[in-house]
Amino acid sequence: MDLVHKEHERLSKKLKGAQSLKNVQSTIDMLQSARDTIAADPNQAAVTLAKLQNPVKASFESLNDNLKETHSGLNKYTKSLDKLFKDRPLPSTELDALSKQENLINRAIAMHLLREGQFSVAATFLSEISEQKAMSDSDSGPSTSDNTTNLLDEVPSDEIRRQFSSMYYILHELKEKKNLLPAIQWSRENREALESRGSNLEFELCRLQFVWLFHGESDDQSIRNWKAAIDYARVEFHTFIPRYLREVQQLMGAMAFTPNLRGSPYANIFNNASSWDDVAQFFTREFCSLLGLSADSPLYVAATAGAIALPTLLKLQTIMKSKHTEWTSENELPVEIPLPPSYLFHSIFVCPVSKEQATDENPPMMMPCGHVIADESLRRLSKGNRFKCPYCPNESHPRDARKVFL
Amino acid sequence: MAAELTSTKLNPESHLILDQPLLRLPHELARRNFKTVQRVIEREKENVIPALKEAANASLSNTHTPDQTLAALDAMISRMQGLKRKMESLQEEERRIHNQSRKRIHHLEELHKIPSLADVKYDQWSRVRLDRLLVDHMLRSGYPESAKQLAQEREIEDLVDLGVFTQCQRVVESLRRGDTKEALQWCGENKAALKKSQHNLEFELRLQQYIELVRTQDQSKKFEAILHARKYLTPTHELQNNSEIMRAAGLLVFSQNTHAEPYKSLFSQDRWRVLSELFVKTHHELLSLPSQPLLHIALSAGLSALKTPLCHSAYTSSSSNSQSTSTSVCPICSTELNDLARKVPYAHHSKSYVEGDAIVLPNGRVYGKSRLMEISKNLGAVQTGQVKDPTTGEVYDEDDMQKVYIL
Repeated sequence: MDLVHKEHERLSKKLKGAQSLKNVQSTIDMLQSARDTIAADPNQAAVTLAKLQNPVKASFESLNDNLKETHSGLNKYTKSLDKLFKDRPLPSTELDALSKQENLINRAIAMHLLREGQFSVAATFLSEISEQKAMSDSDSGPSTSDNTTNLLDEVPSDEIRRQFSSMYYILHELKEKKNLLPAIQWSRENREALESRGSNLEFELCRLQFVWLFHGESDDQSIRNWKAAIDYARVEFHTFIPRYLREVQQLMGAMAFTPNLRGSPYANIFNNASSWDDVAQFFTREFCSLLGLSADSPLYVAATAGAIALPTLLKLQTIMKSKHTEWTSENELPVEIPLPPSYLFHSIFVCPVSKEQATDENPPMMMPCGHVIADESLRRLSKGNRFKCPYCPNESHPRDARKVFL
Repeated sequence: MAAELTSTKLNPESHLILDQPLLRLPHELARRNFKTVQRVIEREKENVIPALKEAANASLSNTHTPDQTLAALDAMISRMQGLKRKMESLQEEERRIHNQSRKRIHHLEELHKIPSLADVKYDQWSRVRLDRLLVDHMLRSGYPESAKQLAQEREIEDLVDLGVFTQCQRVVESLRRGDTKEALQWCGENKAALKKSQHNLEFELRLQQYIELVRTQDQSKKFEAILHARKYLTPTHELQNNSEIMRAAGLLVFSQNTHAEPYKSLFSQDRWRVLSELFVKTHHELLSLPSQPLLHIALSAGLSALKTPLCHSAYTSSSSNSQSTSTSVCPICSTELNDLARKVPYAHHSKSYVEGDAIVLPNGRVYGKSRLMEISKNLGAVQTGQVKDPTTGEVYDEDDMQKVYIL
C-alpha cells in the first residue's frame, strides 16, 4: 500500500509541473515571434524559418521526453498496483450464486435503504426499478411480469418508512437533545410486546430520565434538580416496584448521598459516560426486534461478513483448482471461516461423534446422562439396543434420548 | 487442525480483494488519457515539422510569396494553439483522475490503520464499503439516479465511478433502441485497446448494421448492404469470422420471416440484447472492471459464512429469535435476506458453540442458565423460583432445569 501511495505521489507531482504545456507554449511563442519578424521584414523569411527548424524540433522532442517520463511513471504505478493485488485475483463468477435473484437482492437493498433512514434514495430506487420493469414488460409481453410486480408489493415501503422515520425521530431526540420522552412514550405503547420479550427497556429509559433530571442542565446537584428527580420517581416508579424493587431502592438510596454521590456505592449508576449510547442501542435493538428485523442492517452484516470470508474462500478456490479436487457436500462450505464473535447469532451444535452440524433431519439428541450427540450418531452407535454413552460410563436405551432445541 | 471459531484479526492486505477496481479503474482511465495526449502530440508533430521545413525550403527557393509564408506560419500557430487547448483539457481530466485516485488510496490506507475487526472504525469503514458496493450494483443494474443520490448523500462520489457507468449505460440504452452509432463511436475511441480484446464487438456491430439493411428487403438497400459488407466486414476478416461472413452473405436471399436457422436468429430482435451484453462485457474488460457486481460476490460469501442450519429450520431456534431479548435477530433469519440465503451453502463449523452454563428445560429447549434467569426476572408474572421459556412462554420450576453437556 505504501508503495502504491508513493508511486501515485510521484505521478501527481509530475502532473503539477505541467512541463509539456510550457513546451507547447514556447513553440507557439517561437512561431509567433518568427511570424512577427517576417511580417515586419519579408526578406528575413528564409533566414528566420531556417533558424526556426531546430528549436521547434527540439521542443517537440522534449515534449516526447516528457511523455516518456509520464509513461514510465504510469508503468511503475501499474507495477505497484499489480504487486498490491498479486495473488488476489478478482473473485470469479463461481462464487456468485445470486445473479439469478436480482429481485431478492433489490428488495434487500430497498429495505436496507429504508432502515438506514435513506428514505429519498429508497424512493428513487423503487421508482427506477418499477420503471425498468415497465419497460422490459412492454418488450417481452406480460407473461414474465408476474413475479416482478410482486417484488414491489413485498417491500412494504410506506409502512416501513413510517416505522423507521419514527425510530429516527426518537433516536434523534434521544441522542441530540437528550430528550427521552418520545422513547418512553414508545416503550409504553409497546409495553406488552416488550414485556413478553423480557425486555426492561421501559425501566432503563425511566431510570435514565431520573438520572438526567437529577443531574439537571448544569450538573450542580442543586436541591431543585433533586426535587425534580424525586417527583418524577413518585409519579412514574410505582409501576416498576413489583419487578424492579431492588433497582428503585438503589436509586432512592442514592438520594441520601447527595451531594457526595461520587463517593457513594451508587456512583456508577449516576456517572456512566456511555449510558446514553447504551440506551440508544438498546432502544434500536428492541424497536427493530418488534418489527422482526435485526438491529444492524442484515445487508451490512452480510456484506461485511462476506468481505471477511472472501480471502479464505478464494484461497480455497485456488487450492481446489490446482489439486483438481471438488467439494462434494453441496449444502455446507468446505472451510471454517472465523468471524468476529458479534457475527455469531445462533448456538451451533456439532456432533462430537460424527463432527457434523445438526440439521432438522439430524437433530441433536440428549441422552439421560446429559450428553448430546446427533440423531444419526445415536442410531449408529446403539443399533436400537442399550448402549454406553461415548463420553461417560452411563448406559441408556436410544428411546430414552430426547430431542433438544438449541 | 481445527480452525478457530472466531477471530477479530484484520489483515488489511487480503481484505482488499473487493477493492481492486477502486484503484484499477482510475488507473485505466489515466492510461487512456495518456494515450490520447500521446496521439494528439504525435499528430501535430507530424504535421508541423514537415510544414515548417517546407515553408523554409519554399522561402529559400523563393517559390512562396511572403504572404504565403505568413499564411503557412499562421496555420502552424493555430494548430499549435489547438494542441495546447486539447492538452489543457486533457490535463484537467488527468488532474481530476489523480485527485480521485489519491482519495481512494487514502481511503484504503485508512483500513491499514484499523487494529481489529471489532474496532468501531472498522464498522465505519465497512459501512462506506457497503455504500460503494450498493452504488456499484445500482449503476450496473441501470438505476443511475438512485446511485447518484446515494453517492451524494453519503459523500462518496470520489469513491464510485458514476461517470464511467453512466456513459456505459447510455451506450447500452442506445443499443437496446436499435442504434449502433454510439457503440461504434466508443469502438473508435478505444480502437487500440480493442485489438487485444477477445470479443469482436466492432465486427458484431457492423454485422448488425448489415442485417438491418438486408431486413428492409429493398433492392437498393441490399446493394448498400453488399457495399457495407465489403467495406467493414471483409477487411476485419479473420478465420473466426469466416463462417459468419458466409452466413451474412446467405442472408441476402432470406426475408425476416424465415424459419430457416441460422438466418432466423440473425434477423431476431434479440440480437440487440446480445449486442448490448457484449458491449458491457467488452467495456468492463477494457477497464478492468469485474463482470458482475461485487455486491453479489460479497453477499454470497457473507450469506454462507453466516448461515447455519438453524436459519431455515422448521423449529424456532432457542438462541437468537425475535422473541428473546439480549440477542439480536440473526441477519439470515431476518426477513430481508432469508429467501436470498435459501440456496447458498451454510457455514462449516467443527466445534459446537453454546453458552457455557447450558441447561435444558423439560420441553427440550437449551438456554444458558444465567441468561434464562435474567430473562425470567425481567419477564413479568414469574414468581421467584420459576423460569419462563422466552420462546414458548412455558413456565417451569427452577428445579426442572437439567444440566446439559455439549462437547
